[in-house]
This record gives sequence, structure tokens and C-alpha cells, in this order.
Amino acid sequence: MFTQQLVNGIVVGSVYALIALGYTLVYGILQLINFAHGEIYMMGAYVGIAVLGVLAAMGLTQQSLALSLLLVFLIPMIYCAAYGVTLERLAYRPLRRAPRLSPLISAIGMSIFLQNYVQVAQGARDKAFPNLLSLGSFEVMGAHVSGLQVFILATALAMMAGLQLFIHRTRLGRAMRATAQDRTMAALVGVDVNRVIAVTFAVGSVLAAVAGVMVGMYYGLVNHHIGFVAGIKAFTAAVLGGIGNVTGALLGGFLLALLENFWAGYVSAVYKDVFAFAVLIVVLIFRPEGILGGSAGVDRA
Amino acid sequence: MRRWTLSLLAVSAVLLLAAPGPRAAETIKIGIAGPLTGDQAAFGEMLKNGSLLAAEEWNAGGGVVLRGKKVKVELLWGDDRHDPREGVSIAHKFVNSGVAGVVGHFNSSVSIPASTVYAEAGVVQITPASTNPKLTEQGFKTVFRACGRDDQQGEVAADFIKNKLKAKSVAILHDKTTYGQGLADETRRFLAKLGLKDAFYSGIVQGDKDFTPVLTAAKQKNPDVVFFGGIHPEAILLVKQMRERLGMNAAFMSGDGVYVDEFFKIAGKAAEGSYVTFTPDQAKIQAAQGVIAKHRERFGKEVGAYTIYSYVAANLILQSIQETNTTAGARLAAHLRSKAWNTALGKIQFNARGDVLASPYVMWQVKGGKFVQLN
Repeated sequence: MFTQQLVNGIVVGSVYALIALGYTLVYGILQLINFAHGEIYMMGAYVGIAVLGVLAAMGLTQQSLALSLLLVFLIPMIYCAAYGVTLERLAYRPLRRAPRLSPLISAIGMSIFLQNYVQVAQGARDKAFPNLLSLGSFEVMGAHVSGLQVFILATALAMMAGLQLFIHRTRLGRAMRATAQDRTMAALVGVDVNRVIAVTFAVGSVLAAVAGVMVGMYYGLVNHHIGFVAGIKAFTAAVLGGIGNVTGALLGGFLLALLENFWAGYVSAVYKDVFAFAVLIVVLIFRPEGILGGSAGVDRA
Repeated sequence: MRRWTLSLLAVSAVLLLAAPGPRAAETIKIGIAGPLTGDQAAFGEMLKNGSLLAAEEWNAGGGVVLRGKKVKVELLWGDDRHDPREGVSIAHKFVNSGVAGVVGHFNSSVSIPASTVYAEAGVVQITPASTNPKLTEQGFKTVFRACGRDDQQGEVAADFIKNKLKAKSVAILHDKTTYGQGLADETRRFLAKLGLKDAFYSGIVQGDKDFTPVLTAAKQKNPDVVFFGGIHPEAILLVKQMRERLGMNAAFMSGDGVYVDEFFKIAGKAAEGSYVTFTPDQAKIQAAQGVIAKHRERFGKEVGAYTIYSYVAANLILQSIQETNTTAGARLAAHLRSKAWNTALGKIQFNARGDVLASPYVMWQVKGGKFVQLN
């Protein structure tokens, strides 16, 4: 039972971590909690369904699994990146010099708007996410592991590694780190801050889109409301790890999912969410900056 | 200054819009309340289509005869999104708009608090679907239930688990709602009566997506049957995660809240072989053929589990208004109890509590991508 809970927790954790990265990246640069981020993730799942529908109609899912798999991820990534950038342009950039509460309210407003927009456009009912990958399953140390779980974990880890490379090995990544440390100073030395912020939103949205598509595959069911809970959980994970800190978001995501899973499995499934938020409160009492937060700007982005 | 004038103009325009217009010709208002949107919108649609068919039939004939003249039927929609608080505020809204009766609500957890509001105002409420026993045991004169009760349903489920499936070990899950936990507890009670104690019992969080932690814990007890008290969105995920994530082979069983096409459409192969308690096949009821055909013609699809129940509930209210020549709730309630009614579901008679006298549940199974009645 322990290994089974561990496996399930790690898979869920990788999804939490992917979404949490989007929160933490934006916070690191703008000190803004982008509450509409969960909605971007939800849209990723919906675009995934749409792409799968089109591909199936074209018969491509039968012909080339690799190509359809690529498209199912790539198109939602592009779509969501565009959404993220537009969101920043419309809802946050005009408020950049406003008091901190204004962009926060704008973010909540965008979240409600997007959720209702999808409900109206796509209907309120649950939508099935068509099964694309039939990977089978195997037993490891008494735990039932499905191929899909391995696929999700591998994809998530690849995205995380890609993000680390991007932040630490590219010019844009360096510009992001500089902007995170001091926006004014970065602008003075020639960093195009507006562009960096747009890129940050795009990167966060791409990660959310990947998470959305994978969750759709994992649970096989999507509705307009999934962004809310996932967003709150990922936000919790980001705060738990130390918001603004990339490694913290990863740690927070895995930690939250594992704690939640073990609690639900061994103690009480009813109080799963209560426990998740209780952990957050306790951590914040003893370390208000989160587990890895406040460790200077070294790892910030 | 001009800005001020403009905003003043805007405000007064809004006020004008909000002011009541000329009174429309008098109508008989019937409130229809249930989860019209949200994850249980599939149920809301049944409620909506069923009551709409009934109202349209009456209106096609000119309306309900009241005090010597024909009065049109007007339906007021209340979307409670299966939220008890929404349900109560809709109940107040309905009462304030002067409804003559209410078809709803759908979920027991909403119907029960709302029933207090209707009872105080003396408005007749017929629920097409709330099966929790408590609803009709509050002593209200105005509450009626067109469907069966969970103690009847739980008994059928328990009997099937013990005597047909010969299960040795049962895991029981519920979604903590009045309906879900109520059904799970009734099944548990009847199982205990048959000498089968549940090996695992736990609640889950409605709206959650990942139930593998609790299912993993249940799996440790090697259950032959997993019984779930709850509604289809969670049932879909549970059965999928049992089969695909944990490789559990235990039979999956649930109640009428899962008798929705979505269950096997979305869960697919995982749902195959699952059991659901529900009333006998409505397609075989002679009296229901007319509604079934009309529904197909009007909405282009087959009736759902509770479409005909909603149709019958609306008809019962309208018919008793015509027969008693009044819209006064107390008299309508007394009249509803006074006789056996010929409805699209066959003969229906209410007892003093407002429950139907006979409501046999039977076992259904998902076979080849559809529900098949077992005998």
C-alpha cells in the first residue's frame, strides 16, 4: 500500500509542480499572484480535446500515434501561451503601476471570466478526454503502475529540466533572472522588461497547458471547473515551497501531493483538502517565506 | 460635469430596466428547480425537458381551467447547481413570485432544506428524484416524492450483494452528501441485517478528481464489491481509477444517481459490468409510450432516468389545480393525497407522508455500453 500511495502521489505531484511553476515564475518577476493561471491549465485540457477530436476525424490518430501525440501537446501549448501573453497585456500591464491589490482583483476577475466563458462556449457538462495512449500497466513492489503514469512523470520531469536549462543557460533566462532581482536596474542595463514579462507568462502558460493535457489523459474527464481546485492546490504548493522560488515550487508540488495522498490513504479521505491547507498554515506559521523562500535571489526567476 | 450626467443617465437607464413592466396576463406559475448547469447538468436537463413537455401540452390545449377560464402555465427556472444554499434562496424566490407549486429539487441535500421554505409558505413541492428518506419524514404536509426511497433502494442493493454476488467482503464509499451518504448507510444497514459487515467504509470529497488514495486503502481489504453512494461524476472517476489505475477487479455498484448515459459513455470499458439500482424499465410502461415518443420528437433524443418523473410531477400539480379549482397549497396537498392518479408512470398513490405507495427497485447492469435490466 505504501508504494502504491507513493506512486500515485508522485504522479499527482508532478502535475501540481508544473502548474505551481507558472505561479512562482510570475510572482518572482511581478510579485503578482496570477489567479487566472488555473484557468489557463483548464483551457489547455479543452484545447487538447478539440485537437484530439480533429485528429481523430482526420484519421491521424490511427496512422501516426507519435505525430498526434506531439500535436496534442504542441497546439494547446501554443494556444495557452498566446492566452497567457494576452492576459498579461489586457489585465495586468495597464495596472503595473497601480497599488498591488488592483492587479490581484483583475486576476480574480479574469479567472471568473475565463471559467464562465468556457462554460458558456463548451457547455457545463463533463467532457470525456478520448483515450489516446494505451500503455498497459505493470506491478512494482506491490504497486500497480500504469504506463500512462510513467509517461506523465517523464513528460513533467522533461518540462522541468527544460525550464531549468532555459532559465540558467539562455540569454532570455538570464534576462528573466535579472528582472526578478531588480526590475528597474534590469531595465537600466538594457533588458526589455516588457518582453521578459510576456515571455514569463508564455512559459508559465506552456507548462500549464502540458499539465492540462496530461490531467485530461490521466482522469479522462474535463469540465470548466477543474482549473479552480487545481489552481488553488498549485498555488498552495508554490507558497509551501516558497513563492518566487523555482525549486521551491517543484518541492512544494511533490510534497503537497504526497502528504495529501498519504493522509487520504491512511487517515481520512474526507479531510484530504482540509489537511492540505492545514499543512500550508502550519508551514507558514513557522516559515512565513515558505520552505525554500527567502534564500536570497540566487535561484529566483 | 458631462461625465456625471452620463453616469446619472446610465444609472437611471438601469433603474428603468429593473422597474416592473406592465403586468403580463395572469398565468399559473410553476417553479422548476434542480442542477440546470454544472457537473450534474445532465440531471437538470431531464428535469427541464420533462416539465417543459408537460407545460407545453397544457398550454397547447389553452391552459389549465381555473375559475371557469383557461389560464396558461408559466415555468420559472431555478438553477440550484446542487448547492443547498442556492436551493434555499431559489425556494424563497419562488415563494415570493407566487408559484402554485414546485417540481424539484433534484438532490436530496437541496430538497430537504428547501422543503422547509415551501412548507412554511404552504407551497406544494413534488420532487422527481430526491430519494433520501428524511425528506418526507419531517412531517410537512406539502412535500411529495414521485420516486422511491433510499431505504427501498439500499435493501435491493444489499440483497443482491449478499445473495446474488455471494460477496464475502464489501467496501462502501459515499460522497458525504445527504443522498450519497444516506444511500450508502441504508445499504450498509441492510447488509448488516444479512450478516455481512462492511470491510471498508469511507467518505470522499465531491468534486475531487483523484480517488486513488482511498481506493488503494480499500483495495487492501480485497473487496468483492465496491458500493458507492453518490452521483455519476465521481462514480465515473472511481470506476476508471479502480480498473485503470489500481487494477481492481471488484464489482462496482451504485444507485440511481449513476443511472445516466454519461456513466458508461465517459468511463467506457471501465464501467462495463457495473451494477446500478433503479426502477424497472420505463420503456416497457404502456402509459409512458406517449411521453417517450413526444420527447424524441421535441428534443431529438431518448428520455433520461428522471425525465418522465419530472413530467409526471408537473402534471400532478397542474391536474390537481384544475380539479380543485384553486392554487392554494393546503388544498392541493390534500387533493394529491386523496386518490390514486393515472400517470405516465402507471398508477401512483401517495401515503400520508407524501411517499408513493409502491416503488420497486431492480438491479441494472452495464452491458455492451448500455444499462440492461437484470431479473
